[in-house]
Amino acid sequence: MGLKVPFVTGYLTEHFGDDAFPTLEGYRAKGGYEAARKALGSMTPDEVIELMKTAGLQGRGGAGFVTGLKWSFMPKKGDKPRYIACNADESEPGSFKDRILLERGAHQMLEGILIGAWAMQAEKTFIYVRGEYAHPAACVQRAIDECYAAGILGANCLGTGFRHDVVLTRGAGAYICGEETGLLESLEGKKGQPRKKPPFPAEYGAFGMPTTVNNVETFSHVPHIVAKGADWFRGFGTEKSPGTTIFGVSGHVARPGLFELPLGTRLDEIVFQHAGGVPNGRKVKGVIPGGMSMPILPAGQLDVAMANEFLRERKTMLGTGGIMVMDDTTCMVRASCVITYFFRDESCGQCTQCREGTGWLHKLVTRIERGAGSIEDIEILADVTSKMEGQTICAFADAAAWPVQGMLRHFREDFELHVEHKKCPFPESFEL
Amino acid sequence: MAKLTIDGVEYEVKDGRTILQALDDLGLLMNGVDVPHYCWHPKLTIDGSCRLCQVEVEGFPKLQIGCNTPVKDGMVVHTKSERVKHAREGVMEFLLLNHPLDCPICDQAGECKLQDYAFEYGVKHARTEEPRRALKKNVDLGPTIKFDQERCILCRRCVRFCREVPKTGELAVFNRGDHSVIETVPGMQLDNPYSMNVADICPVGALTTKDFRFKIRVWFLEEAPGICTGCSNGCNVYLGVANNKVYRYVPRRNDSVNDTWICDVGRMTYEEIGAPDRLKLPAVRSDSGVLEAVPFAKAIDAAAARLRSLVERKGAGVLAAVASAHASNEDLLVLARFLDAYGIRHSGVTVRRGDSDDLLVKAEKAANAEGARTLGFEEAGPLAKQIAGGGIDGLIVLGHDLLDPAYLGGERTLAKLDTVIVLDTHVSALERVAHVILPVRHAAEKDATYVNHAGRVQRSWPVVEPSFEAYADGEVISRLGAALGLPGFDGKFDVREVSRSLGAAAAAFRGIDLESVGEQGIPLAGKG
Ligand SMILES: Cc1cc2nc3c(=O)[nH]c(=O)nc-3n(C[C@H](O)[C@H](O)[C@H](O)COP(=O)(O)O)c2cc1C
Ligand code: SF4
Ligand code: SF4
Ligand code: SF4
Ligand code: FES
Repeated sequence: MGLKVPFVTGYLTEHFGDDAFPTLEGYRAKGGYEAARKALGSMTPDEVIELMKTAGLQGRGGAGFVTGLKWSFMPKKGDKPRYIACNADESEPGSFKDRILLERGAHQMLEGILIGAWAMQAEKTFIYVRGEYAHPAACVQRAIDECYAAGILGANCLGTGFRHDVVLTRGAGAYICGEETGLLESLEGKKGQPRKKPPFPAEYGAFGMPTTVNNVETFSHVPHIVAKGADWFRGFGTEKSPGTTIFGVSGHVARPGLFELPLGTRLDEIVFQHAGGVPNGRKVKGVIPGGMSMPILPAGQLDVAMANEFLRERKTMLGTGGIMVMDDTTCMVRASCVITYFFRDESCGQCTQCREGTGWLHKLVTRIERGAGSIEDIEILADVTSKMEGQTICAFADAAAWPVQGMLRHFREDFELHVEHKKCPFPESFEL
Repeated sequence: MAKLTIDGVEYEVKDGRTILQALDDLGLLMNGVDVPHYCWHPKLTIDGSCRLCQVEVEGFPKLQIGCNTPVKDGMVVHTKSERVKHAREGVMEFLLLNHPLDCPICDQAGECKLQDYAFEYGVKHARTEEPRRALKKNVDLGPTIKFDQERCILCRRCVRFCREVPKTGELAVFNRGDHSVIETVPGMQLDNPYSMNVADICPVGALTTKDFRFKIRVWFLEEAPGICTGCSNGCNVYLGVANNKVYRYVPRRNDSVNDTWICDVGRMTYEEIGAPDRLKLPAVRSDSGVLEAVPFAKAIDAAAARLRSLVERKGAGVLAAVASAHASNEDLLVLARFLDAYGIRHSGVTVRRGDSDDLLVKAEKAANAEGARTLGFEEAGPLAKQIAGGGIDGLIVLGHDLLDPAYLGGERTLAKLDTVIVLDTHVSALERVAHVILPVRHAAEKDATYVNHAGRVQRSWPVVEPSFEAYADGEVISRLGAALGLPGFDGKFDVREVSRSLGAAAAAFRGIDLESVGEQGIPLAGKG
């Protein structure tokens, strides 16, 4: 359905072309659940966590937090049950990598979850799938059912005596329910509004119990690390950012799609080589490297290795690896209208700066696009973003402020031209 | 205990508190250390959403919200740095962005935290050309509260209040982002016994009580401390006074009594102070049976004459006194002395009872039932039976709770009495059978102490003067005692002196008097 197999595959997506792979039988045929058997059968929970730390896997949900470290924050003792939440909300515009991992690799993810559950001695996992992902959710549910039938999940996982249950829940289509504590609220049946911290989820998570939230892709790497070791894993990617990731490329490219590549692959290589470059004889104007909340890079800065340590030097981040390419017809003010509209619409509205700031950004940008803005408005735009970032309950306000900062950093001229001409000077740009 | 340094000053604070809670415990919040805040309220759960209370905490790269950041031993906090100022200005400007320019017609002006902080933290207007949000104005949320959606800054105090205090949950935030609005839950209205507190905690003019709206500009009001006398909880209030008139009660914080709340019924009892049915004129029943207004001194003399004549005929044994749980400790002590001096053996205290809940409202619908008991007055039930049975000929009655169904249920049985002397604040059916009527003062009109249900001694202050001649019950009884020539009665009533002798009358009062109870009250001996 819909998505084709990635154009470039790696260890995560290697077998995604195999129609049997989504089934338990097909997965097992490729060595599936052997890593879980190894972890549960011959490793202590602490050994698994140590292995994850050594491997240095960073979360693939956007923030890039080291997974082994996150797992080690879970309280060891105590009479409270411990939970896992698998974040399959994937609603960052420009991101569509989790979808294929759910549709074609649900067992791989479930195996990662089971290993994580052992490592954290968690009794239950909630897989939170975004509302629009009906088919991916069905694929995951089928895989869960197969696991229960085969004794992989449930009261006696793989015959080891370890109990773990997995429950799939569906979101209702709010971006903010991908933020980990917004997700927890939504999971509990409440309005999706991120929680103030402290307390952190490892202390007070789903239904008040210690909980670890990880992304679909994060879990999908885990069986490979357990099966083949930390050194093997570190053989991919950069020293600080090991492993592969699935880049999703969209926008003005000849071959939009998914590409599993080592972290640290250069952005220009991905855009021009793998995704076929910009069609119709056009040139690149700018590229958003990691989902819409990450600041854009101009055409001259695509010579960057796609790993946070390098992207940070260019004042942007890897985010979810959703790469959006814009050609030279693109009006960056219009693009900013789209971006700010999204964040205005999706802000949960709790924090003053985010609630009011997202609306203000959108109004300012829209007015500039109409040709009714002034140079002062451009200054205000920058100032508003500075008053939004780093001050709110969750990172959403940053995610709303940063892309605008990126636009102003690299395409301020587009804004000034609108003011000067009192209209949009890019007649060929996409329509709003 | 943990050490916390704020702006260079070191404090000792309790463990497990957040920065704002610690400042509140120390009594320093907005009273020495300014950390402006909207969503945080000392008696509600922490929300952490307005982001106004951000401070700089050493060791944290980002600003932290004071309301939710736990104090750690040795923590160093700065509240006045440039970064903090920048952040506050940002929040203020964001809030003003969509706020209507209503101040001249807004009832909150003068006690509006948006106005105050905007002035204090330097932002007058938002730099915006965009039209402000147009939302619902003058919305009827229920029987007591009006709502102006445009003025709301979405601090969600009202939402948390309804969920956490009366636990009725009528309010919620609907929608999200900059289209978020407060509404009542479909099918509900804001209607609970504590509903009007939402107007007090709303930092802006979004929620106002129908009762107080547009009555008077708040800057004309003096907020005088006092207590509600609606029930034996004795909630602490501020009486809003102007032109010698009480315009409202608002809660006054007392963590041992009412936290920061009062009930709606109690809140409305301010109306009793200036009510049209106040008993205003001393009166004496003439030989022809009609009540005639007379000067106060004449009324006292007439009361003394009737009592003397009755006692001459039948002795003091036919006299009884009905104390009121509305009367203060000082009033009741003078009454007790009067009974002793005159040899009156029959007495009791009437207490009207009604609904109660497990929050504030108590069944005893008067401020001082516990004080009366402590001073030795017994429940008036048996006395009421005795009166109804015809065993009493002369009665001195404080208040009119004797007419309550729990006692006589009406004034008819009193019609056959030889002498009925009434001291009261308000008109009642007692006037139909009274021979002498003596107007007395309301709690808001006198210095007095009261003991609440939990044994906490609290006081009232004279914040308004009655526009007619009226005295404290104790003073009226003192004058009556003098007119009767009773030993120890010279007609003078020094409430402070009487108050100081409470300890001698009842050991529980030892060391407690008007001066010592202060604004927060103190527990009776053995009740702390
Ligand atoms: C506004 C917002 C939206 C987010 N949406 C997602 C999402 O859709 N999927 C996801 O995995 N993480 C999302 N995140 C990141 C999560 O909060 C969290 O960091 C992540 O799920 C942790 O998993 P990881 O450590 O495996 O990356 C979002 C964060 C923010 C601030
Ligand atoms: S930053 Fe925005 S999205 Fe996140 S909690 Fe605050 S208002 Fe909600
Ligand atoms: S109505 Fe008042 S108390 Fe309620 S959220 Fe709005 S500003 Fe806050
Ligand atoms: S609970 Fe009692 S004392 Fe408190 S406000 Fe209500 S009536 Fe008054
Ligand atoms: S008072 Fe702390 S965030 Fe509102």
